[in-house]
Amino acid sequence: MRSFIAASAAATVIAALSIGGSPARAQEHVTIGIVSATTGPFAAPGKFELNGFNLAAEEINGHGGFEVGGKHYLVDLKIYDVHASAAEGASAMQRLTTVDSVPVVLGELSSAAAAAEAPIAQDNQVPLILTVPTGPELTAQKNPYVFRVNANSNQLAKSLADFVGKQGWSPLSFIAWNNDAGRGGVNGMRESLPPNIKLGYVGYFNVGDVDFSSHVTNIRSSGAKAVMLLMDEEPGSLAIAQLRAADVPVQIIGTLAMGSDRFLKRLDAARLAGMVQYNAFPPNAPLPRIKAFSDRYKAKFGEEAHGFAAQSYDGLFVAIEAMKQAKTVTDGPKIRGALAHLTYDGVIGRIKFDAEGQADPPVYVTQWCDDGRRRILYPADMAAGCGAG
Amino acid sequence: MMLALAEQVFNGVMLGAIYVLVALGLMLVYGVLRVLNFAHGALVMLGGYLCQFVFSHVIASYPLAIAGSIVALLPVGWVLERGVFAPLRDDLQNQVIASLGLVLVIENLVLVVWGPAALQFRLATTQVLVPFGPLRFSLQQFLVIGAGLACVAALFAFLNFTKFGTAVRATAQHPGAALVVGIDVGRVHAVTFAIGTALAAMAGSLLGPLFLVFPQMGDGPLLKGLAAIILGGLGSVWGAVIGGFAIGIVEAVSTLVIPTDYRDAVAFIVIAGVLLLRPHGLFGRTTRYEA
Repeated sequence: MRSFIAASAAATVIAALSIGGSPARAQEHVTIGIVSATTGPFAAPGKFELNGFNLAAEEINGHGGFEVGGKHYLVDLKIYDVHASAAEGASAMQRLTTVDSVPVVLGELSSAAAAAEAPIAQDNQVPLILTVPTGPELTAQKNPYVFRVNANSNQLAKSLADFVGKQGWSPLSFIAWNNDAGRGGVNGMRESLPPNIKLGYVGYFNVGDVDFSSHVTNIRSSGAKAVMLLMDEEPGSLAIAQLRAADVPVQIIGTLAMGSDRFLKRLDAARLAGMVQYNAFPPNAPLPRIKAFSDRYKAKFGEEAHGFAAQSYDGLFVAIEAMKQAKTVTDGPKIRGALAHLTYDGVIGRIKFDAEGQADPPVYVTQWCDDGRRRILYPADMAAGCGAG
Repeated sequence: MMLALAEQVFNGVMLGAIYVLVALGLMLVYGVLRVLNFAHGALVMLGGYLCQFVFSHVIASYPLAIAGSIVALLPVGWVLERGVFAPLRDDLQNQVIASLGLVLVIENLVLVVWGPAALQFRLATTQVLVPFGPLRFSLQQFLVIGAGLACVAALFAFLNFTKFGTAVRATAQHPGAALVVGIDVGRVHAVTFAIGTALAAMAGSLLGPLFLVFPQMGDGPLLKGLAAIILGGLGSVWGAVIGGFAIGIVEAVSTLVIPTDYRDAVAFIVIAGVLLLRPHGLFGRTTRYEA
């Protein structure tokens, strides 16, 4: 019996050592703070954001964690559902940086909530890495502890305005969220549009509104050549359905939320045909980094990769890389210093923060083909046919 | 401009029909039970989910899906009336708190069951477009207006031409006197709440295919429904009807001249103006024990 127990113990040790080797070395855990939304109106984009974080954490841990100062660490995520609310975001940020003592906080969906979280990050010297909010002021305020992986609305607008100017779509109308993302997006476009493009009707709607009939009437009356929809999937599908049903002859321009197979399922190829949208992550682009991530994401979640997920995935890897370069998993100022100087080649492209903490990832414009596939139109050197967008 | 005006008046009438259904449910429950049910919007939402579920998973017939939604929601209404509002009778403050709590409970239950993403409710009636001069409207929009008017007519007939409807009106006027003359006030309360719940299910079932089915879909109609019964006068069926349509049309037409993000404000500015001139609303009356 004793020899059986000894043999079993030996077998267990051998098995533990042989399973990949690396996971067995990881003894420590480092907890990363996440602020996002799992319930409420922002739950849908929050799901994509969290998918990105979870996939990154799973891959990091699956490879045995990461090494800092000779120790191996596994990543744990401490997720707070802040409902894109400034008050709840500030409260969660305070808790993460004091009670939970995390070295880095990532995520957020709303610029307003991120703006409330940023001063707390600075006060408590914990870097805040944003992966979705687009309000330009978040980094323009030069808070040394705020970094942003994704393009802000000015960067997105600059690329799209360049594209719209080349197409000559004037006058250009807008239907936009009545929040920082919508108003910021309209302002960014207004400042970036070339002189040959005039502004037409500009209408705002509140989060949760689903009836766009007033906007449709006003766009028709304004004689707009194109309309830009600054919103996400759900209102976007409704606005397009209502524009098409009313037979308003305009070129529709959407956001990155409207360039996915999920969006196609919400509508159909006929109603989307010809529509263009900017995109931070065309999941079918013929680039190895994008294809590899898209394949892994689809295998894990059973659906096409989303830009928010790609940005968040890269965000967590950037945080880990900063801790490795700073040689600490606890010292916020050192991690901040490493973030300010690191260069990371992620799935969305090269991430290098400028003096304001803003990265400058590539922005694409894709178009829906008649058959429900997408092609890349912009930048010109990346242009690719149907099926590549 | 005339084309835009015509389009917006139609859109306003369609939205108004939804507000009327919500307002009638709220008005009935408040008028008879003296319950200001802030969970009515959540019931509208639940009605939308149930209709979508029945249509997508049980039987692909829209009329039967609406009927299924109403039937499925009736026990929910009964449980709420018996379990929550009856014990809090004559305690308006706690009723309001309870109904706000119910909103959280119902919305989060829906999140657990159906998830956070909005559901699509694909119906042929939303794809069929009816030309109206140079304009086009979906068949579903006409259906909403027709169903709204049919519900108003049915409720009017029930309240005015049936014995039970008379009992409902008597209970609304004075529950004590109704009890004295032999009316089963408890039963009237239960049936009235059931009718209010059925109207909520109907509103959700009509609204879902037009837009989306999502946890907050009842919030806007609840607010506008409340506004409609205040504008029309608490306790008045015709007040709720006129109030609902008026708010729908005013907010739709106002967007032709003012920014769309102010359209909710316009409706409430109109209400404030009306209440300054008629504190009991357009059709409201002071009752003897109220004066």
